[in-house]
Parts: sequence; structure tokens; C-alpha cells
Amino acid sequence: MMDDPYPPLPLTDVLEPADQTAVAELVERAHRDGTPVYPISGGTNLHYGLPPAEPGLGLSLAGLDRVVDYPARDLTITVEAGLTIAALAKRLAGEGQRLPVDVAHPERATVGGIVATCPVGPRHYRWGTIRDYVIGLSAVDGSGAGFSGGGRVVKNAAGYDLCRLVTGSLGTLGVITQVTLMVKPLPETSALLACDLSDFDAAEKLLAALVHTQVLPSAIELLAGPAWKEDSLLGPLAESASLRLVVGLEGTLAEVEWMLARLQEEWRQAGAAAMVRLRGLRADPLFQRLAEFPFDAEGGNGASGLVAQIHVLPGSVVGVVRSLLEIDPAASILAHAGGGVIHARLHLNPEKTPAVIDGRLRPNLASAGGSMVVLRQPEGALLSRQTVWGPPRPSHAAMQAIKDQFDPKGILNRGRFVFTPKDR
Amino acid sequence: MTIAAGSPLVAELRHCLGREGVLSSPSDLVVYECDGYTIEKARPDVVVFPRSTQEVAEVVRLCNRHKVSVVPRGAGTSLAGGCLPIGGGAVVMLTRMKRILQIDLRNRLALVEAGVLNLQLTRALAGTGYHFAPDPSSQGASTIGGNVATNAGGPHTLKYGVTVNHVLGLEAVLGDGSIVQLGPVPDPAGLDLIGVLVGSEGTLAIVTKVWVRLTPDPQDYRTMRAIFATVDDATNAVSDIIGAGVIPAAMELMDRGIVAAVEAAYHFGFPLDAEAIVVIELDGLRAGLDEQQQRIGQICRKWHAREVLQAATAKERELLWKCRKMAVGAVGRLSPSYCIQDGVVPRTRLPHILRRIAEIGRRHGVRIVNVAHAGDGNVHPILLFDERDKEQVARAVTAGNELLEECIRAGGSVTAEHGIGVEKIALMDRLFAAADLAAMVRVRRAMNPHNRLNPGKVLPTG
Repeated sequence: MMDDPYPPLPLTDVLEPADQTAVAELVERAHRDGTPVYPISGGTNLHYGLPPAEPGLGLSLAGLDRVVDYPARDLTITVEAGLTIAALAKRLAGEGQRLPVDVAHPERATVGGIVATCPVGPRHYRWGTIRDYVIGLSAVDGSGAGFSGGGRVVKNAAGYDLCRLVTGSLGTLGVITQVTLMVKPLPETSALLACDLSDFDAAEKLLAALVHTQVLPSAIELLAGPAWKEDSLLGPLAESASLRLVVGLEGTLAEVEWMLARLQEEWRQAGAAAMVRLRGLRADPLFQRLAEFPFDAEGGNGASGLVAQIHVLPGSVVGVVRSLLEIDPAASILAHAGGGVIHARLHLNPEKTPAVIDGRLRPNLASAGGSMVVLRQPEGALLSRQTVWGPPRPSHAAMQAIKDQFDPKGILNRGRFVFTPKDR
Repeated sequence: MTIAAGSPLVAELRHCLGREGVLSSPSDLVVYECDGYTIEKARPDVVVFPRSTQEVAEVVRLCNRHKVSVVPRGAGTSLAGGCLPIGGGAVVMLTRMKRILQIDLRNRLALVEAGVLNLQLTRALAGTGYHFAPDPSSQGASTIGGNVATNAGGPHTLKYGVTVNHVLGLEAVLGDGSIVQLGPVPDPAGLDLIGVLVGSEGTLAIVTKVWVRLTPDPQDYRTMRAIFATVDDATNAVSDIIGAGVIPAAMELMDRGIVAAVEAAYHFGFPLDAEAIVVIELDGLRAGLDEQQQRIGQICRKWHAREVLQAATAKERELLWKCRKMAVGAVGRLSPSYCIQDGVVPRTRLPHILRRIAEIGRRHGVRIVNVAHAGDGNVHPILLFDERDKEQVARAVTAGNELLEECIRAGGSVTAEHGIGVEKIALMDRLFAAADLAAMVRVRRAMNPHNRLNPGKVLPTG
């Protein structure tokens, strides 16, 4: 066994193929032997999902990092899976374009990695997730067979959408080797407007009012807990306040100026106070901090509590944030309130964690039509598949049938996702 | 498998749905033997009209027991034969399930039964400050379920995307008769079955309800008409506008041939001597529109536009759109029969594909007029012929296939929004490698193992 270069993966070896053909050969060999395969890219999100129980082969995509084709006027780009998000962003910015998906640690995170894990960040409210930008994809399935989906065009009604099927599948249907992305023009500028809120009712009032706002928010963020009490960019939270609302705005200079003025006026009329404005380059670090929140270890010492990703309807966000703070008054929470996605960092007694998640959190969420997944387990915890991913959905049989078709021996990221490893 | 009118299955279906929910006499069935793709016909064995998801599920279970295929159908506006009951079977009409169940502005969604018409939903949302973005040209007749089946597009996809970008959740009946709900809250603990079902043309499940995303109404619009001397000038202008980072809500191109038809039919006052006209619509914040509009005007004039006319009132805006939306309906002026094709290329290849289409038409002696969602590289060449003349029909079919192959060669696809249906099955192995089709077959094998859900569609392998 190797010396844990990629905790928590138990790797017997790490191989770095140079191209898709080599990836296919590698997976085909592993399929023959029934060896689990754990794809690795930037290594920024290896704690997502269950830690694998069985030793296996680390498959690094670092050698596949080319820009294959970039016809900028088409607003599409084709890249290999191992290209980092930062390198992609730099290349696109050179043409005044971007992929408007927020990613933590972009200098290490890769295109393949974010397609496999589909992260959620502040700008998904207006711009969607990576799912909305993958128009073509190549991968190697669990038997070592290469396959592709989609193409190079932004509208394509031919056949099944294999791009969407593979996106967010945690590499369990195929090892992604190449992706064609749709891109957007870079906005001229951005800004963030923030206000402190005295209580949950004030929060819901402003969030409900945003349904009919004249501005076009890129992000609507509700911040709660110690992580936000003293923010270097936003300043300290007011004494009487317990929550903060931050709205992100993007567009031309004229549009953003107009929106800032308009939103301030809408908030003033609703009785909101203590507004802070961050414009342009000063806004970028805060957008990035919002994207990195689920991955920030507390106090920077590496150990972390539970990090959960909760999905509810937007109208239920405030109620859920309130109940999270009842469960853990020291929780730090970032709610992407526009889209209904909540990231929570909770400190629970390790022995009690499964009971709290399965006995309190999940039932609460289910009654609001929502669900949650564990993004990161507390140090030393050994949560079950049900606790990390939730109980099997009614559609599980259909999903398992698809999984079995693409990975008959169940070697791809074995045991880490919702699929129960079967005997080989 | 063909079934007789008096068969046990028909009796069981009548028992489940009531006599008025089942059609089985030949004179009734003939109505359902084709859809908007009129070239091919196939007689169903029975047509049923369930009124609830439970009834749809029961129909599927009954048909499974008798090993009869099931062909879901909404309004039957498919242009690719997606509703063709190949080999007979039961056509399952979703049209009696047409209630809008919920409009929830706080959560920016609406819940509709699959048989709700696209335009019906749009009308119900008027005045709420929100709308349902996908507006295919068929919207007056097509159902939301049908829009989901083909991942329908329309003129506003350039800025707002296609149907899948506006589906938050689905309720569907699977091939085994079980009912699943996906969404409306996203669920990362599993595969994106919503993404797979949208655009699957009824071959993986029967969608019974849809949670749709609602989009805020734009604050304002600027709608323009630019007149160009050549098609190349028009398509180059479109390309440059996008290259300048301006994303209009829509950019619709009409060539001289189709404009002649529109003028003959409606007399809107469009010039008959322009090779290409582009209707461009900007929408969004008033604070940003003037700047974008000026940029568009500059670019059009750079490409020798002889006129860039802006709609000054809501009425003028409506008129510009009417011309575009009714263009296909006017084609009857030009020819007794026509076939509207659907091809797509990377947007910068639009000038090339329109040139190739013109050349193909000339070579085969087939008159072709064009409308295009120019910003997306999505062309709708309309091939004109007289279906009573077999030789003309043959030439039109050949020309149609050749232009689709040209789309593939240009790096595009054989369908942007109409779907594969039966019409384009033969092109699937030109568009996709064997390994890629095999991957799609695997998805179908997982969800439709007996191949009884809408057989003979989308994938060439049996």
C-alpha cells in the first residue's frame, strides 16, 4: 500500500496515462482483474462520498490537460479532463469569455473533476451549474470501452443526453477524459450588496421581496454563524444582527450601477440597513470565498466537522437555516437562498452524528420536500451509505440498472456513491 | 404485436378507463396513424385517453401483461414521426391530463400535467411577472409533455436555453408501470434521470407531470429588423454580434424565398428584394439595452445592411414576430407540399451551411427556402415539392439527406430541436460512432428492456 498520497483513497498504485487510449487500456485491465479504479484529478474533493473500503488503482488524469479546440466565436471550447479550472479560466478570459460556474481551489480543481461532482456555488442561481454547460463529453466506461455523448453544438436533440447522465455521477459510469463546454461572455463588471438582518423574519421578508425585484441577481446568499461574524471584506456583523444577506450583481457598468442603486432603494423601503457595496475587483475575493466555504477547514488546522449540502425549495431556506442553528448554535451556514441550496458546517458529537442526521435533519427536510448529502464527514467518523447519501430513492432501481450497464463489475469509484458494491 | 378490437386487452382498458377513454374502431384509429411527419403512417391497435397518472400506470401494466407496445402522444405535432405507432400497439394520449396544478412564484416554479399546452401555460402566467421561457413555434398546439420529449427549442434558446434548462422536476411512469417523481428539488444522490428523460422522445418513460422553472419577465425589449443584400452578409453579422459579447434573446434569419411567401400571405410590407432579413431581439435591463442596440446597429452596417429598423411600439414588435412565427404557415403559397428540415452547425459555420444548402437545392432541382435560429447555428431549410409527383419527392428526400450529412461534416448535428423520431434514425450511425450508439442502447436496455416504450424511435438498433 502506498503512503496515502491521496487520503482517504486506499491506493495500491497511482498511474498517470497520457491519453484516452491509455486510460481505456488501464480500465480494461482493471475490469478483467476486478480491481477498483479511483479516478483522481486535482484532489480537491476526495472526501466527497464514502471513503472506499477496498484498495484499488489510483487513475490520475493529470496527463490529459490539453485545450483540444477553442473556436472562440462559437462560444464553445473542447478540453481534456485534467485541465485545471484556473488554466481554463485564463484561456477563456483571453477571449473575453468565461465558464460562469463557481469552483473552489480552481488552481487545482479540474474540468473532469467538476463535471463528475457538479459543485454548487453562489452564481448557480442565475447561471446554472456545470450541467448546463457540458455539450459534449468523452469517457471510458467500467469495462474499458470509450464512449462519447453530445457534440460541438449548443442545441442537439439527437439521441439520449449522455452528457447529463455522466455529469454528477461521481465517475461511477465512466472516467471522463474530454469535455466540450459552452461558454459565455465575461461581464464587464460585478458588485456585491450586503445588509445585516436582525432575525429570520426579516430575512424571509427580503428574500420574498426579491421574487419581484427589478434587478437580476447573479447570487442571493444568506450567511449565518461564526464564519461570517467578522468578514474582512464585509466588515463585522452589526450588534443587533444575526444574519447577513448578500446579493451578487453582474453586467455592464451601466447595468450594475443601475442595479446597485435600485436594490438599495428596494431594501431601504423594506427597512433594511447597514448596506455594504463591493464593486469590481473588490467583489471577486468574496465571490470566491462563497464558492470555497464548503471546503474551508475551520481555523485552518485541517480537522473539520460535518459539512452538509442541503437542497430545498427556496421558500423553505430560512426555516431550514433556523432549524440547523437549533441543532447546532455554533454552526456556520451559507445558504444560496435563490436556488435553495444550503451549505452547513456543523459540529456534532461524533457518536451522535448519524442519529442527528438520520433522526432529525433528514426527516425535517423530507417534510419540506428537500434532501441532503454529506460533503465531508467529521474526522474519524464512519458514516454509512444511508447517512451520507440518504435512503435509496424510488428511482434507484432504474439508476442501478443504468450503472450495471456501464460498469458491470462495479469497479469505478467502488462503494463511494449510491450504488451498493456487488460481489464480483 | 397486433391486437383485435374485441381482444381481452381492449376490454381491460375499457374497464380501467371507461368506454369513452378507449378508441378501437378502424375509422377512429386512422386519425392517429401519423403526426406532423406525414410521409410515414402506421395504424395503432388502440388509442387510450387516461385522465391521471394512476391510469397511465395501469395502462402500461396492462399492455405489458399482453406484451403490447405503448406509444405516448401529446398534440402530435412531432415533425420527426415521434408518435408513429410502428408495429401497432397502444397510443397513449396525454391530452386529457391538461391541468395547471400549481403556480408558485415564491419558488419560481409551476406544476403542470403533461397535456397542458405550452401557450396555455404562457397565458396563465401573463401578468405575474414570470413566464415559461421555451417558446417553440408549435407552442399554440404542442404540449409541455411533448416539449419535454423532444427537448424543444424555439427562437429564444440563444439566451434562455432549451426545455431541459427549464425543467425542475418530472413525474413519470416507467416501462414497468411504476411511478417515479424526480425533483423539483435537485438531488445529487443519484444519476440525473431528469437530464436523460428530457429529449428521450418517449422511449424511456411516459412523463405525466412537469415542474417547470419560471423566468422573470424582462424589464424591456428592443426588437429590430435588419435587411441584407446577401445571406453571407447576414450570417457574418450574426457571428460578429455574438463575437462582440452581445447575446440577444433571439436572432432569426429569413431568406428571400420565405419572405416572398410571407408577403404573399400577409402583406406585412417586408421588402421582396432582400436576400436575407434578420429579426433581432434584445431583452433585459433598460439600463443596458441602448448600448447593446447601438453595437448591433454598428455591426449590421459593417456588413452592409441597407436598413436596421427598430420596432417603436409593442404593436410593431408583435408584427415583426408575427412575420417570423407565421413564416412556415405561409409556405403553402409557394408549393403544394413541403418538408421542414432541422439541422445545426457550430454557429460560425452558418454562412457555409446556407451556401451548401443553396448548392444542394440547385443540383437536385429542389427549391429550398430557409428560416434559421441564426444565433444557435440552427437552420430550418424548407424543401418544396409536389407530393403527387413521385420523382420530385425522391429528389427532395435525397436533397434533405444530403444537407443533413453536410451538417454532420460541418461539425454539427442532424437535429437541434425536432428530435430523431423515425425520420432520422438512418442518420444516427453517421452522426455517432458505434461505441456511442452502444452507450445509448445501454441506457435504453436499462430503462426499456423489452423495447416496448415507443419502439422504432431514436436508436437504429432493434
